[in-house]
Amino acid sequence: MIAKSLRDFRRSLIWWAIGISAFMTMYLGIYPSIRENPDLYGAQALAKFPGALRDLMGGLQDMTSGAGYLQSVVYQLFVPMLFAVCAMLVANRALAQPEEAGTLELVVTLPVARRRLLLERFAAFALGLLAVAVVTLLVTWALAEGVALGVGADRLIAAHIGVYLVGLFFGSLTLAAGAASGRRAPSLALAGVWAVLGYVVVTVGQNVEAVAWLKWISPFHYYAAGRPLYQGLPVGDYLVLAGASAVLVLTAVLAFDRRDVGV
Amino acid sequence: MTAVVRAEGLTKYYGRRRGLEDLTLEIRPGEVFGYLGPNGAGKTTTIRLLLDVIRPTRGHVTVLGAGSREAAVRARIGYLPGELALEGRERARDYLAFLARVRGGVPPARIRALAERLDADLSVPMRKLSKGNKQKVGLIQAFMHEPELLVLDEPTGGLDPLVQQEFLAMVREVRASGRTVLMSSHVLAEVEHVSDRVGIVRAGRLVAVENVAALREKAVRRVELHFDAPVPAEAFAGLPGVRELRVEGAALSCTIDGRPDALVKAAARFTVVHLVSEEPDLEEIFLTYYSEEGRDDDRQEPA
Repeated sequence: MIAKSLRDFRRSLIWWAIGISAFMTMYLGIYPSIRENPDLYGAQALAKFPGALRDLMGGLQDMTSGAGYLQSVVYQLFVPMLFAVCAMLVANRALAQPEEAGTLELVVTLPVARRRLLLERFAAFALGLLAVAVVTLLVTWALAEGVALGVGADRLIAAHIGVYLVGLFFGSLTLAAGAASGRRAPSLALAGVWAVLGYVVVTVGQNVEAVAWLKWISPFHYYAAGRPLYQGLPVGDYLVLAGASAVLVLTAVLAFDRRDVGV
Repeated sequence: MTAVVRAEGLTKYYGRRRGLEDLTLEIRPGEVFGYLGPNGAGKTTTIRLLLDVIRPTRGHVTVLGAGSREAAVRARIGYLPGELALEGRERARDYLAFLARVRGGVPPARIRALAERLDADLSVPMRKLSKGNKQKVGLIQAFMHEPELLVLDEPTGGLDPLVQQEFLAMVREVRASGRTVLMSSHVLAEVEHVSDRVGIVRAGRLVAVENVAALREKAVRRVELHFDAPVPAEAFAGLPGVRELRVEGAALSCTIDGRPDALVKAAARFTVVHLVSEEPDLEEIFLTYYSEEGRDDDRQEPA
């Protein structure tokens, strides 16, 4: 069952891995020119950006050091968001999409209990996303070496695990919504809105008292607060992310086990 | 022997909309049960309840002696959904192999034999299959693991007549080997030749369960008689089972409910030169269940 789901996801996983790798290549490829023009990209130049935009990009304090550049343009916004979107789409293919298409009806009549069916589809999704994470990590590491970024492999791994966990969280959220509703668009909308708002409250919203407390339900808080690229693996924060995903998957199992399929 | 399917008070509401109301039904081992009704009557709802795709609002159903929630029992069931969806780049052959594996394994030769029999091409990606070919793949997956119970929702949809014949032959073979079939249809003609019993469902309720043989006996038949000379209409008036009687000179036409015995005996007093009796039209009786309820006593008290 897991192998079959992975085969179903294969194409989209390959495209995501290629897409994210291409993104890394493009941005890391221009790093040497940025390093050599500190007056264009240095702190003074960046100060000209509007404050809100700088907040949205995570501060943009330091673009010319390797770690700073990598954090600002890669690990701050774009790569976690790409992973989140990839995870949402793939997770939707695990349940809600086949249910809407009608192909799930025959699958739930196989001699496999509903709970196991859902867990196996989740496992396929988690493994597929892991494959994308490993491939993109290797690409990032190779590029970082190539352009002499000066960021150690351990730090890259720490950041990349965070990216994976952010993806896992949003995938689990989409899966849980799909398991409860059986519908693709609302599940995607829920996860998408959570992702955008979650990102906004930990960046622009961090100084706005009315919304700052919302960071506790934003996966990006647990992803970024420990500054994995600078300080290594933030074990506690990552465990919160993993635990939240586990709770969501459990919710998905319980919801799917009780429900009518395809009506 | 214990029933293959036993439903007791099985009821399903979709929100406030009624899908099925209080179905009590037993399907016996080794029979072919035709489940009839117009679209939306509750046939698919019943079938999905048997397979635990949906859950009953009230009531209880056991299949092959186990509750429908027990997953393991579904390895012994072959199911063809009414709206079979097959998608993607995957070849039909690979999808069948996947289904076979999950159900505990099927010899590839058996899949090949079924595909040959139904003239199905399994090397085509599923999204490119025509409706008829999808239906063939659906039939193959339902039959391939030689299940004890086959549940087929509108199995003949999209099949051409030759393949339909082959399919009916396959159903007869299943019965001959002592296994059980439940098949639904909105057209009686599709199931009357293979079914032992038919259940008729209408607006969410099972209104009748009949032996097909008994149904035939109930059938409305049109009969025409031609005599060598004009006959008096009074000689045929008030015969049991005879309706819509018209006598015009030497010709008589009527419809008969049930046995034609009384008419034949009345006609025997004259010289019959020609007799036309149409095959009983089961469709017609079938439709009377829909136009009126509680017509069961019609037989005893002819008009």
